[in-house]
Amino acid sequence: MSNLIYLLLRRLRSPLITLILVYAISMTGYVMIPGEDGNHDPYQMSFFDAFYFVSFMGTTIGFGEIPYEFTQEQRYWTLVCLYATVISWLYGVGSLLNVFQDPAFRQQIKINSFKRSVSRIRQPFYLICGYGETGRMLVNDLAEDGILSVILDPEEGPINELEVNDLAISPLWLKADASDAQILEIAGINHRCCSGIISLANNDRVNLTIAIVAQLLNKNVRLIARADSQESESNILSFGANEVINPFETFASRLALAIHSPALHLIYEWTTGSRDKRVDEIYTPKNGKWIICGFGDFGRAAYRYLDEIGETLCVIEPDRNRRDLPSGTVIGRPTEAATLKKAGIDEAVGIIAGTGNDPDNLSVLMTAFEINQNIFRIAHQNEEKNQPIFEAANLDLVMRRGNLISDKIFALIRTPLLGDFLRIVSRFKKARANILASRMIGVMGNDFPELWELTVDKKTTPALFSRLEQSQVLVKDLLRHPDDRDQSIQAIMLFLKRGDGNVMLPEDNRIVHKGDRFLMCGNRQAHHNIQITTRNDQYLQYVLTGKLLPDSWVWKKIIAYKEQLEARKS
Amino acid sequence: MRTEKVVFAFFIVLALTLNFGFFLGDLSNPLHHDVYELFAAIVVSLIATVLKFGDRTHLGSVFLATSLVADLQLIFAAIIWGINSQPGLPLEADTLATIVSLSGGALLANIISVILLVSETVNLRR
Repeated sequence: MSNLIYLLLRRLRSPLITLILVYAISMTGYVMIPGEDGNHDPYQMSFFDAFYFVSFMGTTIGFGEIPYEFTQEQRYWTLVCLYATVISWLYGVGSLLNVFQDPAFRQQIKINSFKRSVSRIRQPFYLICGYGETGRMLVNDLAEDGILSVILDPEEGPINELEVNDLAISPLWLKADASDAQILEIAGINHRCCSGIISLANNDRVNLTIAIVAQLLNKNVRLIARADSQESESNILSFGANEVINPFETFASRLALAIHSPALHLIYEWTTGSRDKRVDEIYTPKNGKWIICGFGDFGRAAYRYLDEIGETLCVIEPDRNRRDLPSGTVIGRPTEAATLKKAGIDEAVGIIAGTGNDPDNLSVLMTAFEINQNIFRIAHQNEEKNQPIFEAANLDLVMRRGNLISDKIFALIRTPLLGDFLRIVSRFKKARANILASRMIGVMGNDFPELWELTVDKKTTPALFSRLEQSQVLVKDLLRHPDDRDQSIQAIMLFLKRGDGNVMLPEDNRIVHKGDRFLMCGNRQAHHNIQITTRNDQYLQYVLTGKLLPDSWVWKKIIAYKEQLEARKS
Repeated sequence: MRTEKVVFAFFIVLALTLNFGFFLGDLSNPLHHDVYELFAAIVVSLIATVLKFGDRTHLGSVFLATSLVADLQLIFAAIIWGINSQPGLPLEADTLATIVSLSGGALLANIISVILLVSETVNLRR
C-alpha cells in the first residue's frame, strides 16, 4: 500500500508545486490591488476573500465578483489569474489520470490487492505457476473438488479469462513472472495454508527456475513440476521436486505398458487417468513393426520405450540436418505415401504421428490408413482446440498433453501417497500386476475407482485414534462393515506408509499404528463406511467386538442393572 | 552540487526564516506581526511539504512529518485570523497572541526539519 502512495506523491510533485505557486501569486495580487466597496469607498480584499475568489475561479465554478464588484485593475488581474489557475488545474488532473493509466502503477495496484487477498486465505490452497491449457484443466478440477488455487502467469492469454470465470471456488490470480522470488512470496509460498506448488510453464527452463526458487524459499512445500525433456526432468528432481511429470515419457511408458503388461497399464489408467471414461479393456496391437513419424520430444520418448520392450521400429523425420537420429531412419515428409511405403507401412502393426503440427499428424494417419487398413494409429494432439477433429478422425489412441498432465497432477494432489505407490507398482512382474488389477476391479464395481487416504490421527479418525490407546486394531477389522461386521467393506488397502517405511498391500493381520497413512481403493460407499467406523466410537466398538453399546444415559443404566442381575443369578 | 538539493534546502530554510520573522516581536502587538509574512510562510511551508513527498527512507518520513506539523499549525493560525478579523479593524490582542503562539509551534517543527537537514548533510561522506 505504502508503495502506491509514494509512487503517486512522487509523480504529483511538480503539478502540486505549480498549483501552490499559482494560487499564492494570484492571492497576493488580489490582496494588494486596491478595490472599492458598493459605495465607491476604498476596500482592500482580505486573504480570506482572495482565497475564496481564487478557489472558485480556478475550478471554473465562478460565483461572480465577490465581495464587491471589481474595479478595472482587479479585472485585468483576474484575466491573468483565470488562465493561469485553470491551466495549472488541468495540468494537475492530467498528471493524476496519467499516473492511474501508468502500467507500472496499475500492476502495483493489482499486486497489492492480490497480496491482500492471499494473506486473507484461511483454507489450504495450491500455487499454480503457468496457466495454459493444462493449468486451466487442473484449476477446473481443483475448483470442482473444493480446492482453492492461486495462479501466476506472466503472459497475456487464458489468464485473462479468469476475470469472468464461473468456477465453484474462484481462484486468485496475478499476471506476473513466477520465477521471481518476490512474486512467489507475495503469492504465498510461505503461507501456512500453502499445500504445494505446481509448475506448469511451457518452458523447461522456467520450470527449473521456479523449482530452485521455491526450494530455496520454502523447503517443506510440496513441489510438482512439468518437464518436457528427460534432462530437465532429472535436473528438476535433483532440486528437490517431489514429482516431475513429463507428458511424453508418461504417455510413451503407458503405451509400452499397454503392449507389454496390460494389467499395469490399467492400474495406471484407473489411478491417474481421465475421469470421463473408464478404460477397462485394452486392445493390444500384436508385436511387430512400428513407425514413428517425427523425432522430437514425443517421438524420442516413444522410440526409447518401444525399443526397450523389443519392438521393431522405423523413424521418419523430415529434417535431414538432424544428427541424433537412430539408424535406419527414413528421411522425408511423412505425409506422403511414398515415404510411408519406404518405411514399410505395409507390414507395420502401428504408426505414431508425433510431429508438432496437428494437421500434419492427422494427414499422416489418414494416408497410412488408406495404405494399410489394419494399422494401429496413435496421434499426438498439440492444441486443445483441435479436439473435435481428432475425435472425428476415430483414431485408436490420442495423446493429449494437457489432459495427461492435469489428470496426473490432480490424482497426486488428492492422494499424495499415489506417487510412492506407483513407483513401487511399476516394478511389478506381470503376474503380480494381474492379481492387483483383478482385486481392484473386485472392489470398485462398475464405477470409477475411488482412491483416498486414510490417516490415523486425532483430526480425521478420532474414534480409531483414541481406541488405539486402549487396544490393538488389525487392518482387517477396519474393513468390516459398520452395519454387519461379518460382511466386509468393498475396499482394499493398496499401500501403507509408516514413517519412512512403505508396505505394499498390507496383509490382513497387520497391526494399525498411530500416524499410519493408508492408500485406499474402493467405491464411494466403501469410503463413506470406513469414515463412519473410524470416526464414531459406537460403530468402532461394534466392528471390533460385536457388542452394541447404548447411546443414552438411561439405557446405559438399564444395561448395567441387567448385567448386575445376571451376575447375581449366576 | 545538485540543483534538486539546492532547491530542497532552500525551501526548508526559507520556511524556517519566514516563520521566525513572523513569530519575532511582542506576542500581542499587531504592529510586530505582518499578515503577508504569515501568508508567505504558509505557501513556502506547503511547497517544502510537496518537495518532501515520495522519499521512502526513514529520514524522508520524519522530514515529511515535521513539515506536515508546521503546515497544520500555520493553517490553523490563518483560519483563526480569518474568522476573527473585521474589515478595517486591527486584531484583538488575545486573538493575535493565539495566532503567534501557534506559529511558534510551527517554528519548532521547522527548526527540527532544519536540524535533520544539517545532520543529513554532515553525515554525507564525500
